[in-house]
Amino acid sequence: MSESDTSPKIQTTIETDDDDGRTAPLDARDTVIETWDLDVYYGDEHALDGVSMEIREHDVTALIGPSGCGKSTFLRCINRMNDMIDVCRVEGDVEFDGKNVYDDDVDPVALRRKIGIVFQKPNPFPKSIRDNVAYGLKIQGYDGDIDARVEESLKRAALYEEVKDQLDSSGLDLSGGQQQRLCIARAIAPDPEVILMDEPTSALDPVAASKIEDLIDDLAEEYTVIIVTHNMQQAARISDKTAVFLTGGRLVEYDDTTKIFENPEHDRVEDYITGKFG
Amino acid sequence: MSSESDEATPLRRSGFVVRKERFYGRLIATCAVLTIAVTVGIVLALSGQALSFWSQISPIDFFTGTNWSPVIANDYGVLPLVSGTLLVTVFSALIALPTGLAAAIYLSEYASDQARSILKPALEILAGVPTVIYGYMALVYITPFFKGIFPSLRTFNVLSASIVVGIMIIPMVSSISEDALSAVPDSLRQGGYGLGSTKFDVSTKIVVPSATSGIVASYVLAVSRAIGETMAVTMAMGMSPQMPYFPNVTQNLAESGQTITAAMVQIASADSLGSGPTYEAMFALGMTLFAITLTMNVLAELVRRRFREEY
Amino acid sequence: MATQETTGDQLGRDAALRLQQLKGRLFEVALVAATLVGIVSLLALFAQIGSDAFQPESASATWFLVYLGTLVAPTAAFTLYARRRPAVRETNALAFAAVFGGLLLSAVTYVVVESLSPYDVFIYAAFAAVPPAVVVAYDRTTDGWAYTGPAIPASILVGIAAAALLYDVVRGPIGIAAGWIMYFGLVTVPAALLIGTLTASRRGRRSGIVVGGLVAGGGLAVAAASIVAGTNASLLVVFFSLFAVPTGYVLWRSVRTDPAGRVGVAGPFVLLGGALLGAAVVSQFGIQNPDTFLTPNLLLQSWDGLRAGNAGVYPQIVGSIVIVGFMAVLAFPVGIGAAVYLEEYAPDTGIRGRLATLLEINISNLAGVPSVVYGLLGLALFRRTLGLGTGVVISAAGTLGLLILPIVIVSTQEALRSVPDALRQGSYGMGASRWQTLREVVLPEAIPGTLTGTILALARAIGETAPLVIIAVATTKYSPPSGLFGSATALPLQIFAAASNAKPEFRHGVVPAAAVVLLILMLLMNATAIVIRNKYARET
Repeated sequence: MSESDTSPKIQTTIETDDDDGRTAPLDARDTVIETWDLDVYYGDEHALDGVSMEIREHDVTALIGPSGCGKSTFLRCINRMNDMIDVCRVEGDVEFDGKNVYDDDVDPVALRRKIGIVFQKPNPFPKSIRDNVAYGLKIQGYDGDIDARVEESLKRAALYEEVKDQLDSSGLDLSGGQQQRLCIARAIAPDPEVILMDEPTSALDPVAASKIEDLIDDLAEEYTVIIVTHNMQQAARISDKTAVFLTGGRLVEYDDTTKIFENPEHDRVEDYITGKFG
Repeated sequence: MSSESDEATPLRRSGFVVRKERFYGRLIATCAVLTIAVTVGIVLALSGQALSFWSQISPIDFFTGTNWSPVIANDYGVLPLVSGTLLVTVFSALIALPTGLAAAIYLSEYASDQARSILKPALEILAGVPTVIYGYMALVYITPFFKGIFPSLRTFNVLSASIVVGIMIIPMVSSISEDALSAVPDSLRQGGYGLGSTKFDVSTKIVVPSATSGIVASYVLAVSRAIGETMAVTMAMGMSPQMPYFPNVTQNLAESGQTITAAMVQIASADSLGSGPTYEAMFALGMTLFAITLTMNVLAELVRRRFREEY
Repeated sequence: MATQETTGDQLGRDAALRLQQLKGRLFEVALVAATLVGIVSLLALFAQIGSDAFQPESASATWFLVYLGTLVAPTAAFTLYARRRPAVRETNALAFAAVFGGLLLSAVTYVVVESLSPYDVFIYAAFAAVPPAVVVAYDRTTDGWAYTGPAIPASILVGIAAAALLYDVVRGPIGIAAGWIMYFGLVTVPAALLIGTLTASRRGRRSGIVVGGLVAGGGLAVAAASIVAGTNASLLVVFFSLFAVPTGYVLWRSVRTDPAGRVGVAGPFVLLGGALLGAAVVSQFGIQNPDTFLTPNLLLQSWDGLRAGNAGVYPQIVGSIVIVGFMAVLAFPVGIGAAVYLEEYAPDTGIRGRLATLLEINISNLAGVPSVVYGLLGLALFRRTLGLGTGVVISAAGTLGLLILPIVIVSTQEALRSVPDALRQGSYGMGASRWQTLREVVLPEAIPGTLTGTILALARAIGETAPLVIIAVATTKYSPPSGLFGSATALPLQIFAAASNAKPEFRHGVVPAAAVVLLILMLLMNATAIVIRNKYARET
């Protein structure tokens, strides 16, 4: 890394056994992301209404709720992808590792290099599998062994065995589920801290979807995962904590997953969970 | 932990990188702004000389005079040129507008995918042929052919010029109209068929009326193109400006004439001095032409924007 | 009681319905007729031009038989063979592109460099190539130098400036070397480097060096042989380096990687070989050729425009190529840059957004301005304001460049729009900046569409006449343009001038021949653009 580049260094070794991080007392784990009274407007439309929540590192946090309740909007505030929408106005604080990401001295490009994102519809680049995974490393000027990192990321995304003989063929030749795992490998290659996932399995068949759900559990050992999902059973299966957004972009309840699904505080949440609406 | 120290790592990129990319952005923006410079340049270039011309020759004489004979008689009446342009435009529109619309309807509503994949490029070729070649073909093949039928046809005549200009602008009408027809939502057609209409009814009574603004826009653009056509009319129609014949309109087809554009070419090829009223007259003509075509293009764009908003 | 209609009666055909169906069919026929009327008329006119240009009636029947046997029959047989075998068709298409592309590239390069003076071109190219090479070498040895990106274009400009400054000093000594040595440096050395690098990436460094050396050595051998034989050494060196070597490489690779389609490689050779064989037979046996003006002489001679017998449009062809080539250098970067700004940088709302909309409206208006008016702009800008002479290459190139700018911008915009937004989102999500996203993801995807647009713009520019007349480009010239500030000439202008001459050998001889040359050029360019568009068409 040259001296003129001030982006943070990238870890080059795999952390092996990290169960300690998951079973340590709750207070000992740091907060990675914290929002304070987050309000988002698309023009006149009030998409998020005063959302305040704390996300701990190495948690899998699920955001659930009916369509149009601001879950994806919230997700995109974290890595400032909402900046690309002209009519979007953000008020309130979003803190990442203690720093408000909407401060003037924060470069959104640098921010997104520490936070990875996987989209609903797999969107591999029209490049080879190798070049797809290496993309993040390339644009950040990574000067280590790129091939080793590519292999490592594909292994962590549970895709390596299936594609190790065709790393130079196009990423678009893979099946939908494989493409999504490729996008996950691509997102984790630059070793981010947080991985955002916007309904990553809703465009996939059930077999492919379950493969990715298994993956998310492993990913949480290294990263903090925040996942938006329409599928309540999925949220119940894989997440540690769940946040329920209801109409008007309001965060109604945020708690341990078991509590939300077995004994929620709010009636509206209970109605949503039991399928009375949404 | 996957990141290093506990201190907040700076969420910034190196200053050089940021400056470099801002520079690239500005460079690219400059390219876009240059396009305005082109328009400004055109207006300045034209008006400079044109105004100088109109300070010597009164604009009233220019716009109402019926004799265009700059070199011999110092007459700068633009009406013969306007009538020449008008004749070619009207007759070529009579050829191209119905034909182009018919082709658009066929391609959009009737043609199979295979037919469309052959006919669309074929029509585009009509617009791709250089206009000199159209002019040549009009002069050397079309005129003798029609002379065989109508012996009173002059060597340089409006008919041949109109025919080639008509052929040349068919693709403009057909391509834009076809886009407009294809943009009509299929649900309207389904509605028509559901009521028991024939294909003819659906096409002519439902689809075409829904696409009217797009079709009108295509007409206006094609006419604007015909007005601005130069080489084909110069070679086929000649350089003898004259006022039109009334009331026997079709006789004009057999006569020669001169369009505004042909007059400009004539001045340019003859003039070697680069100054004087004749040279400046070329710019005055250019200004007139620019004003006419700009108005028509803006009109077409307004019509088109209205049509885009309907869906 | 009145008989009730059964449902069968109601759904059946009756006279009124049949009449409607007849009307519908007549309507459809009328539509087809209208669609075809323009195409058919044009084809009829083309047939006339073709007949006048090629004069087929003046050739003897034997002539037709000879070519039938040597050219038509083998090509037809090959085509039928290839019909059923897609692998063969693929390699055949590649072979055609390589062979004819290589021939075209060699011819154009030789002609353009020759008319602009090989010594001048060599000096500028050499000076322009050294600084970037230094920059790249420094980048390879140093670790991750951040300045490489902007340094390369900057160093090229430095090189060109140095060439301009030192030109007088260097020209003398360089002028001592023979012409072919300049060409060797201009085309053979880069070809050797290219092929060597490609081989090295596949087979390792040693093979790369060997192959590169072979290419360079081959070039020297060709030059030596042609000097001994007394033929044009420069021309042969160019054809060797830009046609024989690249085509050979491409065909060799294609045969190696796709054994099933191996036979397809022969396609273009069947065509060319048949034509040459036919020509040899015809001249050997003194068979009656068509009495046409469309001979190689037309393409290679110069002419004073007076007598039809010694017609030649070589200066005009070179002129057209030089003008259009320089126009591309001027207009394409600006046009592509403007399109990139409008699609990728400009916001949709706010002041900047409204400005962007204004720019787009302005561009679509510029597209509708008649070409004569651009001629007037060129006249005012280049002749008056900049004080350049009448009808020089740079004025012509600039005027045409302004004319096609809107076309380039609009087609590039469409190409950029066709890149799915999901790709951009994926790239931005990974922390790529806008410039990085453009460079790595968007622009590579937009290349086919941009290429189509630029080829169509070139095709349009080559046929444009009116603006050139207005800026007083000469119609008849003895020699090709002697440089960027030399006086220019172009093929369509020659057609315009010659068409006014009423003599039959002009009207039905020389002019159709020249027109056919121009038409073939246009049709080839349009066809290339269409092929590219179809091959890379995105499934929407």
